[in-house]
Amino acid sequence: MVAISSQRKWATGYLIAVAALFITYQFLFPWDGLPMGIYDTLQLWLPPTSVNEALVYVICALGLNIVVGYAGLLDLGYVAFWAIGGYCAGWFMSEFFHMINIHFYGSVAKAAPGIHVNFWGVLLIGGLVCAFFGILIGAPTLRLKSDYLAIVTLGFGEIIPQIFYNGDDIGGFNLSNGTKGITILDPIPAGIKNIGPFDFGYKFIVFVFLAFVMIFISLRLRKGRLGRAWLAIREDELAASMMGVPLMQTKLAAYAVGAFAGGLGGVAFATHVDGVYAERFNFSISIFLLAMVVLGGMGNVWGVILGALLLSWINSTGLPAFGQTFNSRFGTEINFPSFTFLLFGLVLILMMLYKREGLIPESRLRLILHEGDPEEDLSPKESK
Amino acid sequence: MKKNNKALVALGVVTLAMSIVGSTMAQSAPVTLTVSSDLPLQGGSADQSESTNNVIKLLLKQVNNKAGKFAINFKMYDDSTAAKGSWDDAQCAANAQAHVANKSEVAVMGTYNSGCAKIIVPVLNQDPKGPMVMVSNANTNPGLTKAWNPGEPTKYYPTGFRNYFRVVTTDDFQGSAAAQFAQSQGVKSVYVLNDTQTYGQGVAQAFTTEANKIGMKVLSSGPAGEGWDSKAPNYEALFTKIKALAPDMIYIGGIFDLNGGQLVKDKVKVLGDNTKVKMMMPDGFTGYPDFLALPEADGAFLSFTGLSIDLFPKNGKAASFQKDYLKAYGKAPTSSFSVYGGAAMQAILDAISRSNGTRKDVFLKMKSVNIPAAKSVVGTSIQFDDAGDTIYHDITILVVKNKQETTLKKLTVK
Repeated sequence: MVAISSQRKWATGYLIAVAALFITYQFLFPWDGLPMGIYDTLQLWLPPTSVNEALVYVICALGLNIVVGYAGLLDLGYVAFWAIGGYCAGWFMSEFFHMINIHFYGSVAKAAPGIHVNFWGVLLIGGLVCAFFGILIGAPTLRLKSDYLAIVTLGFGEIIPQIFYNGDDIGGFNLSNGTKGITILDPIPAGIKNIGPFDFGYKFIVFVFLAFVMIFISLRLRKGRLGRAWLAIREDELAASMMGVPLMQTKLAAYAVGAFAGGLGGVAFATHVDGVYAERFNFSISIFLLAMVVLGGMGNVWGVILGALLLSWINSTGLPAFGQTFNSRFGTEINFPSFTFLLFGLVLILMMLYKREGLIPESRLRLILHEGDPEEDLSPKESK
Repeated sequence: MKKNNKALVALGVVTLAMSIVGSTMAQSAPVTLTVSSDLPLQGGSADQSESTNNVIKLLLKQVNNKAGKFAINFKMYDDSTAAKGSWDDAQCAANAQAHVANKSEVAVMGTYNSGCAKIIVPVLNQDPKGPMVMVSNANTNPGLTKAWNPGEPTKYYPTGFRNYFRVVTTDDFQGSAAAQFAQSQGVKSVYVLNDTQTYGQGVAQAFTTEANKIGMKVLSSGPAGEGWDSKAPNYEALFTKIKALAPDMIYIGGIFDLNGGQLVKDKVKVLGDNTKVKMMMPDGFTGYPDFLALPEADGAFLSFTGLSIDLFPKNGKAASFQKDYLKAYGKAPTSSFSVYGGAAMQAILDAISRSNGTRKDVFLKMKSVNIPAAKSVVGTSIQFDDAGDTIYHDITILVVKNKQETTLKKLTVK
């Protein structure tokens, strides 16, 4: 027990150090004194926007980790919560509903039409609306197990974006502006000033704060009664119910908390892009998030964070930057980004073959996967 | 201690020397400025974008990569992703930041898609060293520069500066020209479809409005007609429904990328070829070799928001540039849009040559851009009105014949 808690302290320490490093990075980056060569290299390999985008994926992946990693409920439609969160930002932080004029501690002038709720309020709204939908989708699926459950979540993940996609004329009411999306959201208010489009550092702090909230929630819940109940269900549902774990409440709680994170991520992403577009929310995002959780280490918060940061960076920056460098060095014209999914597929297969428990495995999961290994503790590298 | 002091002094001298060397070097060598293009380089629009970039590269080569006293460096951005096969919102947002972060960059040529422009323009607009100029060769959605949907266009310009320009005209002109042309062809009733996107709905709406105004019978309901689902496997049911209404013409407002090929095939399959029931599309269907290769495309009318290559004057820069392009790349530009990319770049270079090299000054000089017709690659002078739109409202009507776009006539909308 002592070992675990000191390990956790180390991990928290590392996390804070990394966050601090990046805050310095985000503030130093636009500094004019930086030599041009270094500046261009950094801009190519680690632009501040891609760091912020990666954090949005961290927030969502942590939410999915609660559903998939903790409670063991396979969710293939997580993108739906991201979409709902995004549209909450679109509805409550823009001039979209131009026929009305509602302001609630908003960050724009009082004369602007539309609903303008403060960003922090919208976060809460987005999270709660998503949690509600999480319960809604959880409720009818409770009696289903594994594959059947996955199919229902898959359907949910397809239906919700379709509603937004076609929602520009629901009996004459424009709910989502269809594929045109909702653009230009209110800036995030942060004390004295609003966060503008070039204040990466401030936005980074906001996103890190949200990620910390999710880490805190994940870790605290994991240790508590609810977390242990989730793990029990994950290992053996029947046994758990025999031991008196209320299946219904516990599963619903997992969906609700997971969806809440999706809502936070959705609102954050909408402010990152400064708009919501229905086409963004496709099936591949759900798979992408699931890959982050599996790759990083199902059930392990630190592993999931690592997985999310890594895959997001490869997708948005790493692969295109590598392609650009490779092509200019060797004079080729290979389109590297088009191999993204091939690469992810390969990585997942290799992980499943050689490191099934993920980059940073959860201790309990590792025990299960390596049950019966000879000399388990002495040679952890030798897997089945 | 003393040693340390000496070291410090030495360090100070070295840095001082370096900074002097640096500043003198900066003065003697010409300042290099970057201009960029921001286009979808993957997916259905890839051919067109490549051709546009080629036009710009050739143009820059012809002026020895120089604009006034500045050396010009050209950088290409890609606003599409492989996974989507078309422009991507997050990619556009990231590009917008990258344009501003690239310190030597002063202007952007692009985008191809109006939706993408609506993400990038507000960011460039708020550039603390700007606003940064963007000139588009292909955005035709009116909302970017004129009152169209609620809040447009002011919501794209938070600082109030109008940093967005375009060398092609807008869909409100295109839609009404198409409706007028259809009537002149004896069309009495029409069924309007749209691709449900910013661009497709805009042009379909303009067409519908004008068609109603000039007394054509619009059989579709809704201000922009009926949307087609780009993910549908086929459209036979849709056209069977339309067949019962017996329209003279189908107007397809949208882009070819969005399953336009299947749509056209099923139109001909159900309603018969394009002489029986006519078919007309906006510029979202021009410049696609895949579309022209379809036997079902034969006889389809197309409109284009500018002049087609056939209509360019036969002398001056416009004609010589076509020859140069053919010589350099062995084939003609994919479509007129690509050449308009060159016109947009000419406008940018003109502004740069008269500026002091800062983003702000390039922006200020954009308004007074005036390239005479004889020097312009599209053969009409390049000038902008107060909103940033081209002063010309020319629409070209084309027809698909023998797998080629053939120019029918030019319409000028007042």
